[in-house]
Amino acid sequence: MTLLYAGLFCASVLILFGAMYWFGTGFIAEQIDATVNSEIEEVRTAAHGNTLAALRKTVALYSTNTPDGTYYLLLDRKGRKLAGNIPPLTPVLGVRRWAGREEGGTFRGTSHEVRGRGVAAPDGGYLFIGLDANELDEMREMIARAFVVGLLATVLLALGSGALASLGLLRHVEAISQTSREIVAGDLGRRLPVRNTNDEFDHLAESLNAMLERIEGLMTGLREVSTDIAHDLRTPLTRLRQRLELARRGQSVDELHQALDKSIADTDSILETFAALLRITQIEAHTRATAFTRIDLSTMLLDMAETYASVAEEQGQVIAADIPPGIVIRGDRELLPQLFSNLVENAIRHSPPETKIVLSASAAPQGVTVEIADTGPGIPAEMREKVFQRFFRLERSRTTEGTGLGLSLSAAIAHLHGATIRLSDNRPGLRVTLQFPSDQTV
Amino acid sequence: MRMKWHEEPPVKILLIEDDKETGEYISRGLKEAGHLLSVAADGRDGLFRATGEPWDLLIVDRMLPGLDGLSLVRTLRAGADATPVLFLTTLGGVGDRVGGLDAGADDYLTKPFAFAELVARVNALGRRPREVKTETTFKVGDLELDLLKRTVRRGEKPILLQPREFKLLEYLMRHAGEVVTRTMLLESVWDFHFDPRTNIVETHISRLRSKINREGGGELIHTVRGAGYSLHAAS
Repeated sequence: MTLLYAGLFCASVLILFGAMYWFGTGFIAEQIDATVNSEIEEVRTAAHGNTLAALRKTVALYSTNTPDGTYYLLLDRKGRKLAGNIPPLTPVLGVRRWAGREEGGTFRGTSHEVRGRGVAAPDGGYLFIGLDANELDEMREMIARAFVVGLLATVLLALGSGALASLGLLRHVEAISQTSREIVAGDLGRRLPVRNTNDEFDHLAESLNAMLERIEGLMTGLREVSTDIAHDLRTPLTRLRQRLELARRGQSVDELHQALDKSIADTDSILETFAALLRITQIEAHTRATAFTRIDLSTMLLDMAETYASVAEEQGQVIAADIPPGIVIRGDRELLPQLFSNLVENAIRHSPPETKIVLSASAAPQGVTVEIADTGPGIPAEMREKVFQRFFRLERSRTTEGTGLGLSLSAAIAHLHGATIRLSDNRPGLRVTLQFPSDQTV
Repeated sequence: MRMKWHEEPPVKILLIEDDKETGEYISRGLKEAGHLLSVAADGRDGLFRATGEPWDLLIVDRMLPGLDGLSLVRTLRAGADATPVLFLTTLGGVGDRVGGLDAGADDYLTKPFAFAELVARVNALGRRPREVKTETTFKVGDLELDLLKRTVRRGEKPILLQPREFKLLEYLMRHAGEVVTRTMLLESVWDFHFDPRTNIVETHISRLRSKINREGGGELIHTVRGAGYSLHAAS
């Protein structure tokens, strides 16, 4: 990995320098060519008259009075040198360049490259004007030096930082796998280290930690449930067993029938507990929104109030509804009535006569709120979280029949709908607030 | 549990159930209730026999070897077989009821169930022609209900009912003479597919009773002990 990155770095440096070389030398060559062209124009103009003899005079004059670095050459038709400050060349037209020391050795102290242009002179003559291209040479050398140094630095840097980066990477990965191994070994409380650098590793660690949190919660729930089931079912099963044994010794057919009827009732209540537990588990495992449809919540709640009005009335309680029409949400058509029914029935069953139960709903941009408030005995603040646990029952409701699973079931259904369920003091009494998120509304 | 349905014609039932003990329990009880029972022990055999001869009712377990209950009912319905189907299941989970009804079942019962529940549903399904009744007026004794006008009369006297009470009475009148259970009422009248912890049905029945009662006119809504209710004129 480190090598791959180093290679990539070097390649990009190579390309960069290549481009610099290409454009840099090209630019200088263009400059030289332009200067040479204007020099040729100047010589031609200065020659006054387009003859080889006139040119010869001018070239001779220019080439003696020139500063270092400008070269002139005039040849006649046969290639003999007529004037100039360099040895004769093969007459080639157009831009030409050569390293000064190659052809004719050094002249006038230069060993640099010479770049110039040859043009046709009158009477078959040949005129060449060239410039010392030492700038070009220097540029090339400079780029080459910079390139070597740059490449070296790049390779070192790339290798170094690559090694550092992958070292860090490996360390994080190792930390994660180390923690994972500890978790697998049974330490479910462990969490991945978060370094608060807000990088991808932190995000990964946070996501994994959230997942671990959920798993731990589920595992704890599972353990608690297993214990609770064992505790809560042992009592009715023991009672059933005793009854059956008594029945076996029973004397009359009537006694036997009575014992059997009671046993069936006992079994039914045990099965009911099982069914409720299974239902909670299934709801919790349910994929959200698979069976969701559009639900007229207003109508559903008004139906609920109407249904339970007479039940409450029999107990001397009153149910009132404050529900505006037209509240619509997405939800499960079978589970939502069970949720509301559970909460209303809780209010009815755990409250004395004279209690007033109010069912209300309201829709706002942030979601739909449903409240079931009663003026009954309420739930002490410190117990409000616990009542959602499976089999949890307040001391005073131990004698009321029930599975102790109603609120767990309600919480599971609410959770399935993305809704929060909150208990608060109704002063006096209990207020249950269900808050459905806005993406659940239609 | 003794119930008197002997005077009614027997329902010819095919029970498709792989568990021997459950099969025995159901067929013995239904035979005692006066029905004709045949049992198939797996899905393939069940489908073969279901299509082989006419039946009044199929009772199908959802989990079957060979061919599961859902596929069996789908296959039957795809072949335009309209025999009423009652699903039995131990799953009883969220969405199972809807799944079963979608496949083409007419009713759904979760194991374990009270025998009275099964008998009531078998009677309701097995004796009913499959076409939905199109009557708009019902009459039992001197009690009349008009669906279109949404009125109820006992003799000459009009009776005012709450919407829910009207629906309850309508269901009872549609099933006049049959036993309807508390669960059947909860499902059809309230659309409740769970067991409420308060006596909703009892409360509403007792209100309905007091509203339709008339001096000297006998009781119409009868309580069938251990089973449910039955609406019929006093004999």
